[in-house]
Amino acid sequence: MSKDIKYEAAYAELQAIVRKMENDELDIDQMSEQLKRAQELIKLCKDKLTKTDEEIKKILANS
Amino acid sequence: MITKRFSLFELNRLVRETLECEMPNEYWVEAELSECRESRGHCYMELIEKDEKTATPIAKASAKCWASKWMLVRPNFERTTGLHLVAGMKVLLKVYPQFHEAFGFSWIVTDIDPTYTLGDMARKRQEIIRQLKEEGVFDLQKELSLPLFCQRIAVISSETAAGYGDFCNQLSDNPYGFQFQSWFFPAMMQGEGVEQSIIQALNHINAVCEDFDCVVIIRGGGATSDMSGFDTLALAENVANFPLPIITGIGHERDESILDMVSHTRVKTPTAAAALLIDHLKQVLDTINNSQNSIARSVQQKLSTLKAQLSTVSETIPRLFSIVKTRQEARLDTLGQRIPMLIERRLTNACHHLEIIEEKVKSLDPQLLLKRGYSITLHHGKTVRDPRQLHQGDEIETRLEKGTLKSIIK
Repeated sequence: MSKDIKYEAAYAELQAIVRKMENDELDIDQMSEQLKRAQELIKLCKDKLTKTDEEIKKILANS
Repeated sequence: MITKRFSLFELNRLVRETLECEMPNEYWVEAELSECRESRGHCYMELIEKDEKTATPIAKASAKCWASKWMLVRPNFERTTGLHLVAGMKVLLKVYPQFHEAFGFSWIVTDIDPTYTLGDMARKRQEIIRQLKEEGVFDLQKELSLPLFCQRIAVISSETAAGYGDFCNQLSDNPYGFQFQSWFFPAMMQGEGVEQSIIQALNHINAVCEDFDCVVIIRGGGATSDMSGFDTLALAENVANFPLPIITGIGHERDESILDMVSHTRVKTPTAAAALLIDHLKQVLDTINNSQNSIARSVQQKLSTLKAQLSTVSETIPRLFSIVKTRQEARLDTLGQRIPMLIERRLTNACHHLEIIEEKVKSLDPQLLLKRGYSITLHHGKTVRDPRQLHQGDEIETRLEKGTLKSIIK
């Protein structure tokens, strides 16, 4: 998985997965793979949020 | 008709005797001096009276002051007026008439009233002032202002007096290290010719007035207190109309001269004139320094205000971001929880489909037919649906409910 993916892109992909699932557009065979992907995306997004929060605090503390 | 003939001497003596007899007294007479010169201790004057309107002479006479009187009269006059007796002055003389057979008529002066001359000069000064005001030029110099950086000075002074040197020394020794440049324009600063030579110097300066910031007219110590040269209409007009500010330092204790009145600024001495210029520049420097300080101060104030605003903002940012973060995390969690649910639903559905199909499959199981007594004939593992498929001697397999039997076609 690319670390360079933007938060917005990751979130959009996550939404797309959910939408496909809601619409039964996914093959059963893809299910576990997509679930894995979804969890990766969620972790990525949460990490980005945490990292941004820390960076903001660090930047402001230095100024 | 023959009458008595006189010799000139006899007739002149008759005039003299008549005069001495008829006019034995002393008289006070007002007159203008048209000439005045000293010779061997005596003073010889020419008196004149002009018609007030036409200025043509209506009376003339010679007058003499003998040395014995002159040595008293002259110091008294000069002490009181500060002036020498010169042509053009109005005087009040105490005189008696004298007619000499050989030298003719003359008034003999025994006293001069200096206050009359002073009064007359004051009147003349008032007249000049009135005229300057009428012309609207009296205050023109006052409307000018010294340039901020008044450093290029045109100096009108006499070559002989120490005034110019004092002025230059004072300027160059200023404690602030200011640089001044001065140019010297020589002129007579006392006696006759003051008016003309100062006007001439002003004309020279005017021709290159772009090169100067102001004009200084100064006269060193030791000069007489004769100010009459500075009290003329022509000089006053030239000074008043001059395009640059003029500072006068012509040193005198008594009343201001008209030159002083019309100039931009008057001071007493050349040194004071230099001090004025230094002071002016010092004030400009102070203004600049003050402005610099107040600019720095207001910039600092502005900066600290902005800093305070920034720190308020920077305190707000983490708070705002944590709101964003919480919201985003909630959305992520929602999505994260939704996916397993969706998967489960999908799998359940798939299972259900499978079960239905299983049922269908079960209902089509051939074993059920066999149980009911039907059988299935196979040839080489394939179902035989038509006897024409088979030939004599083919081995066939028949599947029954409880087993298989093999047979040969006859």
